[in-house]
Parts: sequence; C-alpha cells; structure tokens
Amino acid sequence: MRAVFSRQALALLPLAFLILMALAPLARLLYEGGGGLSANLFFDDYLRWRLVWSLTQAAVTCVLALAIGLPLAWALARFAFPGRVLILRLLLLPFVMPTLVAALGVLALFGPHGVTGLNLQDTPWLLLYGNLFYNLPLVIRAACEALATVPASRLAAARTLGCTAWRAFWRVEWPVARPWLASALCLVFLYCFSGFGLALLLGGQRYATVEVEIYSLVAYELNLADAGALALLLLCLSGGVAFGYAWLERRLATPGKVEPLPPRPAATLAERTLLAGALVLLALFAAAPLLAVAGRALSAGVEAWAVLGEGDTLAALANTLRFSALALGAAAVLGLAHALAAQRWLWLRAAAFLPFVLSPVCVAFGLLLLYPGWSASLALLLGAYALLAYPFVAKSVAAALDGVPPQWPQAARTLGASAPRAFARVVWPLLQPAFRRGLAFAAATALGEFAVTLFLSRPEWTTLTTLIYQRLGRPGAASLDAALVLSSVLMLFAVSAFVIIEWPARRDRDSDHA
Amino acid sequence: MFKKVLWLALCTSALGAQAAELRVLTHSSFALSKELLAGFEQQSGVKVVVIKAGDAGEMVNKLILTRANPIADVVYGIDNTLLGKAQQAGVLEPTASPAGAAVKQTLPGMVSVDYGYVTLNYDKAWFAKQKLALPKSLDELTRPAYKNLVVVENPATSSPGLAFLLATVKGLGEEPAFAWWGKLRDNGVKVAKGWSEAYYTDFSKNGGSRPIVVSYATSPAAEVFYSKQKLAEAPTGNLLLKGGVFQQVEGVALVKGGGQKKAARQFVDFLRSDAVQADLPRQMWMYPVVPGVKLNPVFALAQQPVAHDTPDSQAIAAKSAGWVSRWTRVVLKSGY
Amino acid sequence: MLELVNLCKAFGQRVVADHLSLNVADGETLALLGPSGCGKSTLLKMIAGLERPDAGQIRLGGVDLTALAPEARQVALMFQDFALFPHLDVRDNVAFGLIERRLPRREAYARAERALAELGLAGYEARRVWTLSGGEQQRVALARALVTSPRLLLLDEPFSSLDAHLRQSLQAEFRRRLAAARIPAILVTHDRAEAFALADRVAVLQQGRVVQCGRPQELLAAPRNAWVASFIGYHNVLDDGVLPEQAFLLGPAHPPARVERVDSLSEGIRVELTQQAAHFTLTLSAREAAQFPEGLRAGQDIGLGIDRSRLIRFAGA
Repeated sequence: MRAVFSRQALALLPLAFLILMALAPLARLLYEGGGGLSANLFFDDYLRWRLVWSLTQAAVTCVLALAIGLPLAWALARFAFPGRVLILRLLLLPFVMPTLVAALGVLALFGPHGVTGLNLQDTPWLLLYGNLFYNLPLVIRAACEALATVPASRLAAARTLGCTAWRAFWRVEWPVARPWLASALCLVFLYCFSGFGLALLLGGQRYATVEVEIYSLVAYELNLADAGALALLLLCLSGGVAFGYAWLERRLATPGKVEPLPPRPAATLAERTLLAGALVLLALFAAAPLLAVAGRALSAGVEAWAVLGEGDTLAALANTLRFSALALGAAAVLGLAHALAAQRWLWLRAAAFLPFVLSPVCVAFGLLLLYPGWSASLALLLGAYALLAYPFVAKSVAAALDGVPPQWPQAARTLGASAPRAFARVVWPLLQPAFRRGLAFAAATALGEFAVTLFLSRPEWTTLTTLIYQRLGRPGAASLDAALVLSSVLMLFAVSAFVIIEWPARRDRDSDHA
Repeated sequence: MFKKVLWLALCTSALGAQAAELRVLTHSSFALSKELLAGFEQQSGVKVVVIKAGDAGEMVNKLILTRANPIADVVYGIDNTLLGKAQQAGVLEPTASPAGAAVKQTLPGMVSVDYGYVTLNYDKAWFAKQKLALPKSLDELTRPAYKNLVVVENPATSSPGLAFLLATVKGLGEEPAFAWWGKLRDNGVKVAKGWSEAYYTDFSKNGGSRPIVVSYATSPAAEVFYSKQKLAEAPTGNLLLKGGVFQQVEGVALVKGGGQKKAARQFVDFLRSDAVQADLPRQMWMYPVVPGVKLNPVFALAQQPVAHDTPDSQAIAAKSAGWVSRWTRVVLKSGY
Repeated sequence: MLELVNLCKAFGQRVVADHLSLNVADGETLALLGPSGCGKSTLLKMIAGLERPDAGQIRLGGVDLTALAPEARQVALMFQDFALFPHLDVRDNVAFGLIERRLPRREAYARAERALAELGLAGYEARRVWTLSGGEQQRVALARALVTSPRLLLLDEPFSSLDAHLRQSLQAEFRRRLAAARIPAILVTHDRAEAFALADRVAVLQQGRVVQCGRPQELLAAPRNAWVASFIGYHNVLDDGVLPEQAFLLGPAHPPARVERVDSLSEGIRVELTQQAAHFTLTLSAREAAQFPEGLRAGQDIGLGIDRSRLIRFAGA
C-alpha cells in the first residue's frame, strides 16, 4: 500500500509538469479558438493529401530504417573493431544538427554542386535520405541494445540444434529484437509524422506535413480553431502510436542480467565484407552529411574560424552549456520520477510521449496565452527545454526498471537497507547505463534546434543553434562559413557531451557492450 | 548543483522583474549595436529587455493573442504587410512621429524606422555561364527557357514570400497575378519554407540549382559585405521587374495596455535618432527613413529600386489572408 | 522464537494464508512443504516484511514485527535465485548488509572475507557474481544472509537450482551451519527429501493452511490424511491409511499379482502391481530384487501378500 502511495506522490511531479506545460496550454489554445471550425477543413483534398503524405513518408521511412538499420546494427553488435564503442556513442550526433545545416551537408554531397557529382535535389531519393539521416541511428541504437539482450547461451543452443548463423538470427535474435525495434520504429514514425524535418526542407513545400499546416494556421493566420482541430487529430493518431509503444516496451521487459554475446573480430571473408558494408552504409547515411559540414568548415580558412573569438559566439557557447545543463538537471529529476511512477500505470508510460506528439507551435502559443506574465522568463524557456528532453530519460529508465527483478531490492531490504537505501545501493546502480543513455538523448535534444525557436526569447539567451540560424539569416559566403564553423563547434560540443554522459563507469566497463 | 543553478536563475529573473524595465518586442532579425542600447539605458534610466518573438508575422499574432495581458510595452518590426492586421486587432497605441524633419517613408499610426525592398535576386555567375538573357518581365519567367529556375518562399510561412505575393497582386492585378502564379507553378517554381531555406539550399549561388530567388534588394550588397575576399562587385544582382518589387516599411509603436509609457516613447524617439538610423543599415540591411544619414559605402553596390508595387496596408489587412489561401490553392494544392 | 498467529493473506480469489499459525523455536529448523503455488514463498515474504498480511501477527522473541519495515526486522531471506546483486562483486555482496548496519567498510570487508572463507570461498572476493557456478552463488548468498547475524533465517527453495550431487553435499553443510548459528530458520521447499533431511520439523501446507506439522518421523508414522501421506512420499494410500513397504510380502506362497510396470531406480527397482483390481507400488532394494534371478517383466505374475496389521491409519481419521 505504502508503495502505491509513494508512487502516486512520484507521479504527481511529472504529471503536474505535463499538465502545466503541455496540456493546459493546448486546452487554452483550443478554448481561445472557440468552436468556429472551417466547414470544409476535413473535406479539403489538399489537407487530406497532406495527411496521407505525412503518414506515407513516415511509414516508408520506418520500413527503410528497419531494412537498412537491422543488418547494420547486427554487424555493430556482433563484431569487434577499433572505435566500435565510440561509433555507438556518436550515433546520436545527427540529432543535434539543425535541419538547415544538415540540408547543407546533404546538398554538399548530392546537390547540384555536390562533391559526388550526383544531383539528387528535388528527387524522392533525397527526401528519404534526409529522413534516414535523422532516424536510422535511432533504429540502429535500439537494435544494438536489443541484440545485447540475447543471451549468448541461447544463441549457442540454437547453433547446437543445427541453426546456421542466418537461421539463428531469424529464430532466436529476431524474436528478441522485434519488440525493441517496434518501439524504436514507433518513435521514428512519430518524428517523421509530426516533424518539419530535413526531408521536407529538401523536398520543398510540396512535401510539407500536417504539422507545417498547423504552424502556418497558428503563426500566420491565427486560425486557432482549425489549427486546434488538426492538432487534436494528430494527437489522437500519434497518441495511439505512443500508447502502442508504451505497451510494447512493457512487454519486452526481461528482468535479470543476461550475459550477452561479446563482440568478436570478424573472422571470415563474408563477415569482414558484412562489417565493412555496414560501416560504409553507416558512413553514407549518418556520417557523410556531418563530415561534409565539418569538411566545408575546415576548408573555410582561418578567417571563418575567427568567429569563435567573437563575443556573441562565446556568449552563445556559455548559454548552450548553461541551458543544456539546466535542462538535463530538470530532465533527470522529471524523467526518473516519471519512470518510477510509470512502472505501475501503462497510461502514465504512454503519457511520457505527450511532448513528442503535441504540436509544438500549439503548445508555444498556448503557453503564451496561459502565462503572459511569464512569457519571456527563463523559467518558461527552461521548462520548454525540459519538456522536450525529459521523455527520453523517462523512457530509457522505465525500460531499465522493467529489467530489475523485484527480488534484488527485496534482498537489500532483508539485509537491512531501508527502501531509499535499497534504491540507492541496488536499483540505482543498475539503472545507471539506461539513465545515462536517456540523458544523452536528452542532451541531444537540448543542444539541437527543436521547437524552442517558437518560444519568446531574448538576445542574451542566444544559443549555438540560434546563432547558426542567425548567420544563415543573412546573405554572404562569410555568413555561410560562420554557420558551418559554428555547426562544427556544436558537433564537437555534442560529441564531448555524449562521451562524458555515457562514459562507462569503471565497474561496468568490463561488461559494457553498448 | 543543478538545483542551485536553477534557483539562481529563478531568483535573478524574479529580481530582474523588479527593476524598471522596458519590454521591447521584436522579430528575430532585430539587431542593434550593444553600445547604442547601453547608451539608451543609461540616458533613460530603464533597463531594455529585448524579447524576440520569431518572424514578424508570428510576432504580431503573439501580440494579438496576449492583448488582454500585453507581453511588451513597445513593439518594433511591424511592417506595412502586418500593420493593418495589428491595428484591426487593436493591439497598438497610435504613436505619433517625433517632431522634426520629414522622413522618406511613413506608416499610419506608427513611427516608421527603416525600409527596404523585397525583390528577385539572380545568380550572376550562373547566367553568365549559361549565356541566358535575364528575364525582362515576370511573364518571361513562365517561359520554357526559365523552367525550374525560380525559388520562392511560402507566403504562409515567410514574410518575404508574402511581400512578393502582394507585389505580384498589386503589379499585375489580382486575376492576372494568380494566372501568372499558375503558369509559374507549371514552369517548375519551387516553394521553400523560409528565406534561409530558399537562399541556402535552393539558390544556385549556394547549395541549390535555381538562379533566381525571392530575397531583398540589399542582399547583393550584403553578399559583398559578408564575402570572404572583399569583392569589388556583387555576385548576385537584383531583378527589378514590374510586379516583382515590394516596398517594406518597418516601424515602432507603443503596445496598447503596456507600461513604462515615458520610457517607451523615449525608445521610439531613440530609434529615429541619427545614431540608430546610421547603425540600422549595417545591422539589418534596411535603409534608414531619416534622410541624410550616411550609408556604409557597400550600399552603393545595392541598386535601390525606383518603382515598386506595394498595396496599401488597409488593402493588405483586408485581403492578404484570402490571397494567401488562394495562392496556396493555385501553387500548392492544385494537382492533388 | 518465531510465532505466526492467525496470518491471513489473499491475492484476489487466491488464498495464500488462511488463519495460519506456526511456531519455530530458537535453533530449530522448520521446513514448509507444499506443492507449487500453495503460498509458501508469500509466507516467507510476509515474515521478512516484503508483503503485508491481511490479518494476523508475526512475533519474534515476543516482539510484534507485523508493522516493522523489512530492514528493521533482522530477518535474513535467501531467495530462490539467490538475488545476488550483479553490479557488485562477491565481497561487496556479502558485506552489503554489514554496511547497511553502519559498520566501517574495512571491518565489513574483513567479516565478509571471513564468512566467505568459512564457506570455502576464499579467493573469490573480487569475482563478479555472474561468473560463479550455481553452488558458488548459493554459498555466497548463504554467507550474505548469515554474516549479519540475523535473528531468523528464511530460505526459499535454496537447493532447487542445484544438481543432485551438489545438493547432497551442500545440504549436509547447511545443517551444520544452521546448528552452529543457533538461530531459528524456515526452509521452503517442495521436495520432501530435502525437507526431511534438513528440518527438525516439517509443516505441510495446502491452500494457505497447515495441514499437518511435526517432526519427520511423526509425519511418516502418522500422516493426517491421504493427501499428506502421498505428498510425503507414500505410494500405497488407501481410504483409511497407508501401507508402508514393510506391509508387503513377496513369495510364491502368496496370491498372484500382475506386474504392470518395472522401473530401475538408483538403488533397486520400483514395481507396479495389480491384485484384484487394487493397485500397489513397491520399491524393492537390490537384495529384495535378487529373489527374481530372471528379473521382473511387465505381464508376469508374482506372489504378493499384504500384512494389513501394518496399516498406518490416518491421524485425522
């Protein structure tokens, strides 16, 4: 009984936060919009086409990300090679890139002046490439984690029962990985479905999603009724996906510590080819645009790098550091509380996805309506950061909690540890890797552009990302170079953040497989 | 640690609210030398809090939504495309211009600060290499020779995009304008979300393949100013076509229901001061409204249009929403 | 001394403790014997404080524990899967409870190492727990439970995951340790051999009730009813009692019985017979089996006499 009460108390914190920062603003916006829907809103062919397109591109990206990501992840999970752990850490890097900069990187490769000589601009290939750039790493990470939960003994058993490596994959590894993959794909779907996205930027407004429509309805036309109706429609559609995700995640719980198969060097020619192919694919889809950006920044010359010495840049760096740290702190507290409370209630688990499925522009305008006095306060801005960052921590920790068998904390209790002590000495250390993984994602979100640009801001709050956009807001080669240099700095910053956050603790290092 | 910092942040923001503060709402492109702002703060005795509310259109909507409880005392950056909307919503205090010499451009009920032109830019190198003549009218852009060469911003999500649409409507007449847009669509116009996207991913000068982009008349000058090796000539040029030039006048006004009236009024006058007027062109690439202000020599490289097609702000207020949705229907929706 | 008084606990429809009362004296080992799912493990968790009883009292040394938090009870519980902490090495696992009792780390480690040495695990201190064999894990778990000098030791199927050979050698060691520790212990098992080998007294549980409780010999000499009799290992259960092996006499002088089935055991053979529609199972030692030099086969008839005077009547009848 006591446990239930304390969980309810724990749930209060994230719930209050979600209500104050997400639901109440949306409700306020809907209220402001009143009832006056445009009569033909849902009978508009164009809008219907956008909805269908939003769904289609999200679904196609999911299929492609799975088809490419799974073999790639298998190679990364099973073969040892120098730099493997670093590559797994760096997989989050695309997340940090402002979409416009990523588009510049992509065009530097496949644009009219691209180094590959292959002009794919305005073809569907580039759209899909753009979506994969952001989402493939997500699937790869999930699949790597999934494959690390396949006990070595089970694989060995399959092999002794006459399975080839290929059959063993389908009959042993695939069933284990399936729920993980499904949950990662849900996330990919949500991102593609409700985002502005690189693909749309590369494809032009013909390929805009419904979210773009909502954005222009709210920000330009002030048609809150239609926007609210669309936002609710999206909420229902993607909320269903989020609920599916939560359900899957709980199903995939495998309490206990498994001893996974340690990666080994690729031995045969086929294995080496597979590994090399995987690395080439990864480089092509995830690294190439980033490298193109870094390469262009490096070749920009010393004058371009002088931007680093400017007061604006230093202030932006300091802000980025400060805001990310604060957002991470808040995300850590909220995420932990949410994850602990969500052990009990499935709906609460699904609620962690609320920040992903709500239309950002609706929330931003709703917050403005709801708290006009706070609209330009740092607290609200940080609240917005935390809102978008904390679900990653909640998600990751909730999954890890599923993996802690109840008898471990119980054993600690019988050995004289109070409930908080049992948590601190037994559960918490076991949650560490997942917690850090969630924090890394949260950091990527906080460092990346996301929707904070929709909120009121002040010049003295300029972060690296906003500075990059400012530079790209004016013409000139030097502006472009400065943006590219700043993007490279952002990447460096993000890399160090990921490496620090996910630095394996001394004790874990010998068992660290992901 | 985190909690401490958070507390500190909360306390400082709470403390800050107690000092005399002038809240200035601006669009995200606002920029002014720090020394000038500091000088104003010293002279007026108030702290200036600049609040950036996104693109100008977004900013006006935020102002309208919060009119019961204004988020600012003074607003800068409302232009003639948005003035009517703001006035109809009643969010602006009628603000009279400071007494003194006449200015080049005015805004009814607001104090004009700067102006500029939205127009087509072209990539000089591209046209030279392709040996293609520059188009002499908007109509020529719909000919096969110019297929797939133009990128515009979506007027539903971008201020220059909207300005360009307004110019075509004014310059060609409403019906011919939308007929022209239809032909332009058939000739492969690309629509980008905003200026940065169009200029940096679609314009052939940068990452893209299209040598004609909707931009500003000062962009060629800025290209030179922000070039790496100081160029003698701009790499881009203005394509000043009938129906393709919009004059944008930006101004400042007091927000209805805002506080700090005296300081707000001082700020309005401050934006008209010679020092600010001289600083603005370099910071925001707009022309000062006060005549006789010495411009940075680089502005000589930007050709100032002699003619433009700009509907008056009342007409814009009444019709632009209808024009934008019609544009969306003609350019984006047809074919689905 | 541990006293359970009228404990009740139900999960919805499933009753796991129904006015259950039991005592365990100091230095005594009580085995809880019952089929899977009869509530044995829940009972242990209630005693340890991990589950709350719906009603009833748990007293240890005369003090009511019912409302105390698990960490305040000084009751050690050894889990079925040992629940060793995977993020800690062997030494830290064993020292865990000592550190919780605010012992200086150095002292805690010294005691942990001593406890490990006593269980023959010297040199294992820095090993990760998942690299240990089942028997080693079991001994680490025992050391972890005993090193804090608990006032009561609870053991949940401690041998179920071990192989038969290891089980026997460890059971002997267990008995010695428990006797030396002089603390009351409760052992939960579904294996009657284990219960009889380790416990001073055995309580047979069925659906949350103690059906019968007593020393192993008492149980064997007077099972309460047919269910208890068959659960503690009697094969030939009749309506009013059981026929022990000694009640059966073999030889050609006796009426014939049909051999239905013959199974080899580790020592001797098990024979299933029918005689006048009655079914019997006999365990023959190697020496008894020697009466049949040609061996026994299904379908064969042999003489079987039954000495009804040796019938053990049910105590509850």
